[in-house]
Amino acid sequence: MRELALLLGKDWRVARHRRRLWSEQSRFKIVFVILFAVGLLGGLWALFLHGFRFLESLGGIGLMLVYRLFYLFFFGLGLMLLLSSVVTTYTTFFRSEETGYLLLKPVPPGTLTLYKAIQSAFYTSWAFFFMIVPFIGAFAMHERLPLRFLAWLVLYSIPFVLLYSLLGTLACLLALPVFRRFRAARWAVPVAAALAAGAWLLKTWPLPGDSSLSPTLTRLVPAMQWASHPLWPSWWMAEGGLALARGKWTDVAMLWGVLASNVLLAGLLVEAAGRRFLLPDWQGAHFAAGHRRRRGVLLPSLDRWLGFLPRDIRTLMIKDARLFLRDPAQWSQALLFFGLLALYFLNLRTLHYHVLPAAWRNLIAFLNIFSVCSIMASLGSRFVYPQLSLEGHSFWILGLAPTTMGRVLAAKFMASVFGLGAVSLLLMTLSTWMLSVPAAVRVIALLVALAMTLVVSALSTGLGAVFIDLKQRNPSAIVSGFGGTLNLVLNLGFMLAGILPLGLVFHLRAQPGTDPGGWTAALAAALAWLLLLAGLLAAGALYAGWNSLRRREFG
Amino acid sequence: MESMIHVGGISKSFGPVRAVQNLSLDIPRGQLFCFLGPNGAGKTTTIKMLCGLLYPDAGDIRIGGRDLRADPLSVRRITGYIPDFPFLYERLTAAEFFDFSGELYGLPAVEIRGRREESFVEFGISDYAHTLIKDLSHGYRQRLIYAVTLLHRPEVLFVDEPFIGLDPFTIRLIKNLLREQAGAGMTIFLTTHILALIEDLADRIGIIVGGRLVAAGTRSELERASPAAGGSLEEIFFSLAGPERPAGGTGIHA
Repeated sequence: MRELALLLGKDWRVARHRRRLWSEQSRFKIVFVILFAVGLLGGLWALFLHGFRFLESLGGIGLMLVYRLFYLFFFGLGLMLLLSSVVTTYTTFFRSEETGYLLLKPVPPGTLTLYKAIQSAFYTSWAFFFMIVPFIGAFAMHERLPLRFLAWLVLYSIPFVLLYSLLGTLACLLALPVFRRFRAARWAVPVAAALAAGAWLLKTWPLPGDSSLSPTLTRLVPAMQWASHPLWPSWWMAEGGLALARGKWTDVAMLWGVLASNVLLAGLLVEAAGRRFLLPDWQGAHFAAGHRRRRGVLLPSLDRWLGFLPRDIRTLMIKDARLFLRDPAQWSQALLFFGLLALYFLNLRTLHYHVLPAAWRNLIAFLNIFSVCSIMASLGSRFVYPQLSLEGHSFWILGLAPTTMGRVLAAKFMASVFGLGAVSLLLMTLSTWMLSVPAAVRVIALLVALAMTLVVSALSTGLGAVFIDLKQRNPSAIVSGFGGTLNLVLNLGFMLAGILPLGLVFHLRAQPGTDPGGWTAALAAALAWLLLLAGLLAAGALYAGWNSLRRREFG
Repeated sequence: MESMIHVGGISKSFGPVRAVQNLSLDIPRGQLFCFLGPNGAGKTTTIKMLCGLLYPDAGDIRIGGRDLRADPLSVRRITGYIPDFPFLYERLTAAEFFDFSGELYGLPAVEIRGRREESFVEFGISDYAHTLIKDLSHGYRQRLIYAVTLLHRPEVLFVDEPFIGLDPFTIRLIKNLLREQAGAGMTIFLTTHILALIEDLADRIGIIVGGRLVAAGTRSELERASPAAGGSLEEIFFSLAGPERPAGGTGIHA
């Protein structure tokens, strides 16, 4: 444990230096980030508070939902923590040069594993706290609880976060030897079969759940019964939180004790797994070369399909695709992303769109458009924005190649347009089909998806060039910088500015007595505004990126 | 003579590629052993097996009489490793990194401070003790990594390509240091491509080609083994390794 304390102490020193480096940043950047963070927290707080008040106004089942939401909220966050921890563990353990360095020091592998697991939990948990603070704050305000309730609950949730992070780490450490032994083509079928069996079990297993749940509530929110099962750590967390709200301190202490003892058990399991698997897993991740890579089918086909593009642009695009597919940290995050998307789509049917009044149908249709566009914005920020920076120390190769920086930028932009375009059109088609929205809304949704693809690609590529960071190799760190944040904010800003007018126009149509002629003119104006805004933003971002790259030195 | 590094018939494959095949070596205390071979011959794979970062598929390794596989922690206490591209904590200062490393080896704080002052003077980095590592030049980072690696006074030192990108002053500093340490009883296992430096430094030379040790001995022993080669180490190397790059190399960097 002495080594663990030492390693954590080292991280503390590093954090102190980071704080000093942070204070050397431009004041504009600091103010911008703080304003954005506060704005986001405040916005979420207001949204949750509005939601609680809305549920209360429904009476009966709504009042029941206010409390039941706790179970669902922590159940969902727990799942996200678990998935996120699996991915973060891989990068924290096996992509970090520090692991190789520490493996050569007299640090027992079990202790090193625990240290890395804590580091991974830290990286995984910030989004969790960013979500629970406004949720719990809004709940406290709604229930007229003192503000210290929020502080207590944040402290109370620490073992919950640690438990899920440790379980994610354990899953990653145990899964890697299996994946190493069997190549992708061999394990894809068993994994798919296991997932299908799991889904079937989920659907059919008669889980006792909470018998106090009314059938109506279970029908409205089918996941509620699952989330209310007392064996889930999320149940201990939610129940403890509610006990805290009611001032039942004995229950609070007992449930916290259950969480904490499970953390200790998970810690022991992680340490034992680390003793056995850390070095072989690390060796597998670093020295698994040797087998000749077979020529696949996907990339040569892609090369043929893109035959209409100039050779240099096509070569750059294929190179990026190849690097992406060979980087487990990148594609595993993409898989996680699409896994969460699948959850979203699985839940679309539960909205019972077709039985709702027109105003609600309109609201849901546009909320769906917002959701798909938010996904686009996140995908662009995470995967497109860091592309130029990830050229890293090899950037000089592009600089000295017989091509221009404009064409390099064009290659990145087009790769993004093709990739994001395919995903966004597919998602929009699928979601509007699942909701059975009218044809007019479907056409508008597809237009919005195209405009969003154009803007997200241009902003992510252009700003990626303006804020290029060739020293940073970690894509997550590149994204979390000022440029990455600005990119996300501008994408979300475009989404609001471009889609809201369209939503309002459709909302007006749902109101009785709307003049059809005026409505058509308003729709044309909203569409023109969307396209104009998209064109201006895309052109501006690409110009800024090109201008920055062409002045750049490559040394 | 007491063997500080004992390598008994180790082999290592990466998939179908046999990186190291049946390699055996014994290096006594205080010897500076230079490991020479063409690119992809298996030098780095060997050094990583000796450090415990890779497990051999067959054979055994003993460092200072301890079985590396059975007792890795006690081996790490008596060894130091300087890779070709070492890892450093960019956001620690040179002094903090030094202290942290000393604490990992369980040295008392007072002793660490004393050794830091002494060592930073020796390596000419005293002025940069409180500079963040990310702001140090390549040469100074390399000096720091030597200072940190020698801090716990290892009995065995593994060095992989120690002279990449260094200026003549730093090369001389490191050469003198390695000779001094070997003279004081440290066993040094070093890989490099620079034949002139091997001539200056090596007590014994091993030549690895295609994963196999084709020759090992002192400079004069190697000369006797290839009498047709003439006097220079370059000619000896080519006569033992073959005039062109042999086809047996792995081309894989471990």
